[in-house]
Amino acid sequence: MINLVYNEMLKIVRKKRLFIISAIIAVLVGLFTYAQYKHVQDVQKRLGTTDWRTQLQQQIIDTQNRLNSSGISEEWRKFLKIRLQQQQYYLDHNINPSAPGAPTFMRMFVENSIELFLPLMVMVVVADLVSSEASGGTMKLLLTRPVKRWKILLSKYIAMGVSISFIMLALVVLSYAISGAVFGYGGWNLPLLTGFTVQGEELNTANVHLIPQWKYLLIELGLASFVAIVVGTLTFMLSVIMRSTAAVMGIMLAALISGAILSNMVSSWESAKYLFMVNLRLTDYISGAAPPIAGMTLGFSIGVLAVWGLVALIVSFFVFITRDVY
Amino acid sequence: MKTNSVKIIALLSVLASVLWGYGLVVMVQDQFFPPSASVPSKRVAKAEHDKALHLVALGDSLTRGTGDETGKGYVGYLVDDLRTKTKQPIRLTNLAIKGLRSSQLVEQLKQLEIQRQLKQADFVCLTIGGNDLFQGGESLRNFSPQRIKQTEHAYLQNLETIFRTIRTANSQAIVFYISLYNPFQQLNNGQITSKIVRQWNYDSAEVAARYPNIIAVPTYDLFELHTNEYLYSDQFHPNKEGYKLIGERVSALITFAKGEGK
Repeated sequence: MINLVYNEMLKIVRKKRLFIISAIIAVLVGLFTYAQYKHVQDVQKRLGTTDWRTQLQQQIIDTQNRLNSSGISEEWRKFLKIRLQQQQYYLDHNINPSAPGAPTFMRMFVENSIELFLPLMVMVVVADLVSSEASGGTMKLLLTRPVKRWKILLSKYIAMGVSISFIMLALVVLSYAISGAVFGYGGWNLPLLTGFTVQGEELNTANVHLIPQWKYLLIELGLASFVAIVVGTLTFMLSVIMRSTAAVMGIMLAALISGAILSNMVSSWESAKYLFMVNLRLTDYISGAAPPIAGMTLGFSIGVLAVWGLVALIVSFFVFITRDVY
Repeated sequence: MKTNSVKIIALLSVLASVLWGYGLVVMVQDQFFPPSASVPSKRVAKAEHDKALHLVALGDSLTRGTGDETGKGYVGYLVDDLRTKTKQPIRLTNLAIKGLRSSQLVEQLKQLEIQRQLKQADFVCLTIGGNDLFQGGESLRNFSPQRIKQTEHAYLQNLETIFRTIRTANSQAIVFYISLYNPFQQLNNGQITSKIVRQWNYDSAEVAARYPNIIAVPTYDLFELHTNEYLYSDQFHPNKEGYKLIGERVSALITFAKGEGK
């Protein structure tokens, strides 16, 4: 079995995708670091102070003014209101939610890439894992070996898991190394608040507690890898079903992008919460942002994603084992 | 060589996956079985005094600058003006919220961070009352003397509280209370509304006079002659030129005050 997995890993590494992905991540992290640096400088210049409390207070006032202006949508108003209450909570307890530093940058990068960027990178690796064997004609050679079919597919699935773990690792290492050069490498022990829950338009702070940033980050990375595995499994299923890698990519891309768009406008379509793509932003539950549809919770979203993942896994094994190849 | 790199990648990834898995375990522990919520207590930071001249602006849309297309408002022009007069760096914190009424300002001033900002202030600019009195034009169009009297009474009490809070937080800073002008002067019952605004301003100035270093700055006269030229298209807020007039007026006072105080 180990040999089979090793064989699959060899194929993946040979394709050089993992390196391309690392390069993409490096470039993006560089861009975001620069943008963030510019932004911080701009705010400091505008307010004439480096005191984060003044900056946060000013943000709160700006949000209050936006809430008072007419012509903002109901969803956006709710989102702003929740964020406002949260910012006020941070301010009241004298905790800086965005103290500069590489760990903070990593946290924000993970939070912003969990919905689209990370799934896309996963998709690039996984999309042709099986379909390329079918379209390249190597499938027959593979299946004529004296190894059970499920073992072959399992080895591919494990190789997928290993690759996803590598992508996560690249994301963490690169974003820490590159952003740290600008913002400094410290800040692992900064306190952060978690445990906010949203009830209607109000922010419930009953379960709020402090955790150090490294733990917060660990939690978010765990969730990100879970999302990556689920998206990977779905792509894997499509790759088993279809011979064309381009079709696999197309479908996944459409699903992921529609998810990003839907999350912004589905609040009135309640059954949309069972779609996997509106549940990808798991880290929002940790930070306490308002969910896209009322009633969605961390447990619910994890459950939905797990069901989608499991079904996809079962379908891919079933199809692969029973399919006639000729 | 090739095989080695594959082995290294695989090994690193497997090790990393242990970390991600641990992350999930931590997540379940922390989110689903939260530690018996030790709600962190409220804490307030110490006020810091730096060399910069610190200006805190409080109040409603006038301080916010609604109606000025550059978004500066009188506070912006005031700071511009001051920058030409002094080399000292100036720090502006504009805490004004559109549509704020006096009772809401009383609430806002209870916030710890707002109080901290006030402690650091050298100057405070304040506009309040416009929304109490005009309520978007409602109360003056179908006004009754009875209702206006009630509104004013409540307002004056709030103003008292506001001034007291500011003075308690910071006994040194010079406070400029910008009083009201009458945007409805040229309408049908301009005579009556003007009378109300004058009375309102007079009573407010009386409250201000009870506290040291709180200065009531009149704006009534600025808009008296050419009301429409200085009003924004909503016929309520000043336009750019109107804000410039107010900014200049306060700026003139600050130069004087600086010679005295600093």
